[in-house]
Parts: sequence; structure tokens; C-alpha cells
Amino acid sequence: MSERVKIVERTEIPDGLKIIFGLPDVGLVGTIAASHLISKLNLKEIAYLRSDLLPPVIMLEKGLPRSPIRMFGNEDLLVLNSEIAIPSASIYLIIENLVNWVSNKKVEIVFTLGGLPIPNRHEIEKPKVFGAASSEDLLKLLNEKGIQAIQRGFLVGPQALILSFCAERDIPAVALLAESFYNYPDPEASSMVIQALNRIIDMEIDVSELIEKGEEVRLAMRDMMRRTQAELARMKKSHEYDIPGYYIK
Amino acid sequence: MRSRRSIFDIMREHMEELEEIAEEMFDRFLERPSWDINAHSLEPLFDVSVSSDKVIVTADLPKVDPENIRISRISDDLIEITAKMRVKINFEDLGVTHRKGEFSYFSCRVPLPVPVDTSRAKARFKRGILEITLPRKRGYEIKVE
Repeated sequence: MSERVKIVERTEIPDGLKIIFGLPDVGLVGTIAASHLISKLNLKEIAYLRSDLLPPVIMLEKGLPRSPIRMFGNEDLLVLNSEIAIPSASIYLIIENLVNWVSNKKVEIVFTLGGLPIPNRHEIEKPKVFGAASSEDLLKLLNEKGIQAIQRGFLVGPQALILSFCAERDIPAVALLAESFYNYPDPEASSMVIQALNRIIDMEIDVSELIEKGEEVRLAMRDMMRRTQAELARMKKSHEYDIPGYYIK
Repeated sequence: MRSRRSIFDIMREHMEELEEIAEEMFDRFLERPSWDINAHSLEPLFDVSVSSDKVIVTADLPKVDPENIRISRISDDLIEITAKMRVKINFEDLGVTHRKGEFSYFSCRVPLPVPVDTSRAKARFKRGILEITLPRKRGYEIKVE
């Protein structure tokens, strides 16, 4: 592992756990979902990421310094959450190192939660969740759970790299992406990806609070969305709207 | 011999310049707070999109009822959105204890990138999102021979 990105374990983390990534992206869908999981499952901070590729930012919690990118967990599950927008120029190395760490830990399966931006999101009552996976077997699993796979299209950002690095290394990985706003925090979309996750790993995370407190979440996430939006523009996230070039079947 | 630049080279250079300007503006915009203690206001997240016939401005306005939204035209290329929140929000509600101040409004000024006909503008509020549609000013038609 490069020294530029280091995952520091506060307690010993056993092999073979599941990991959920909730990194800042469109609608902050993954970040909001990860925060909700950490809160509902009462997960404890067990590791953090240290890197000179990140801006010199720390989180102060009860006066103590904390890394803005942290891992929370219990005996079965790890959740990686970021409280800052990850600089687009650093995403590649950070994700590569995180996937290296995941590989060394022989993680059972990786889930990456996020949004799929749609221009008319505010017209949609219930955002639909789409999936993508690192292998054919996992695509079958998605199908069994009623989650439609994205057959063809572009994926940009953390989700894209997590999925492709995991596929390269034969690490089972699933991306769950709910239709979402591009640049407004979208707790409803987050609730939909959690419900999809519930179906896959047989959990029962209640999302009603996420819906009820949606307005509070949108208020609290304004600044993070603003900074994330700047990074999304730098990484050309709008590529996801593009229709892939024609090919002959 | 001096090599001639193609129209595509010139366009690409212009695009790069525009991107640099946009990035600089974005960074400057981020380096100030999204709140104003004196005006008791928060700056909402907003977006502007331009299509062939209209400009659509949207803004995320949580804790706002539609009757408390005011949209005014400041100049030909600038509109102002002000919205009173249902409840007052203070820093502590947002988990911040080392700052004092409360907020009752959302307020922002939105620059319009192309000329619009504000007299035909329409607005609606759905799922906490304000959407203002401003028809673009019409030009003249060019006949195809």
C-alpha cells in the first residue's frame, strides 16, 4: 500500500466482513445512507483514513480531532463514510488503496451506495434503484432481488472505480444507485438504496426517520453538497448523462 | 510558414478559457460562508439550466411553504429568491455549538446567463424544490433556401 493513503485501524478488524461505501456523490445519496446505517446500527468508529491527498481538514468531535473519512463497524459489517467532498484528483489513488485494504481483509462483499442523477427528479414520487456488479453471479442476485441492472451506460466517480477495481481483483462488489437529484441532498433516494440493501443482505434497517427528518437532512447537508458539486464538475460527472456510442449487435 | 489554426482549435481554446473562468468562480463562491448572521439568512442550493427555448432556475428550499416564497427581478440578468422558513434554525440545530445566530430566511441572487422574458415567467414548488421557468427572448428567423 502506498504511504500516501493509509488506513489506520483503531481496533483489530477481523477478516471476512461486509463493507458498505457511502462516499460523496450526486445527491449525497451514499453519504446520507451511510450516516443513517451508522446511527441505526449504533456502529463504532474502528478505523480512519489518513492521506496527504486530502485537504488539511479534520473533524472536531467533542473537541477532539477526527479524520473526515472514517470506518465504523460491528462484528459483521463495516461502513465507510466521508464528511468531506473527496478531491476529484485524489479519488483514483484513494479508492485504489481502499480496495487494496479490502482485498487484504478478505472482505466478503463490497456494497457501494449512490445516486443516479435524473433531471426531472422532483417529479418522481418513488426513486427507482438500479444496480451494477462485479460479476455475472451478483447480477443474477440483483435480478432475484428485483433490482434492475444498468445494461449499458457510463458511471463516473467513486462508484465507478470501486466496481472496476473490485472486478479486477475478483472481490464481490455491488453498486446500488437510486434515481436522485444531481446537486441537492436526496434523503428519499438514500432511503431507497437502504431498502434495496435490506433485501440483499437480509437486514431490517428502518428508513422512516430518514424520510420524516428529510428537511433537516437537506439543511444540514447544504455545504457538503456545495463542495461535492464542485468536485463532481471537475470529474465530469455529467458524462453519466451521455448516451454511449453506437455499436453493431 | 505559419500553421493555420482550425476553427476547432479556436473553439477548444475558448472552451478551455471558459472552463478556467468557471472553475475560478466556483472556487471563489465556495470560499465564503453559505449563511449571513446579520440578515438571518441561509443561501439555498440553486441551479440554472439553459435549453433552446427557456432558462430553468431551481432551488432547494427545505422547511419552506410555497406562500412564503418571493421571486423578484433585480435587473435584466438577475433574479432574487427569498423564502421565509416555517421555523427559525440556529447553529445548534445544525450541531454547531461554537457559533451563535439564527436563521429565518433563504435568500440568493441568481444570475441569468441569456436574455429572458420575465413577464412570461412561471414558478412552481414541488417536493421542496422551487422551479422557475423563464422563456428565452425570441430572436428573428432565418429562412432556409
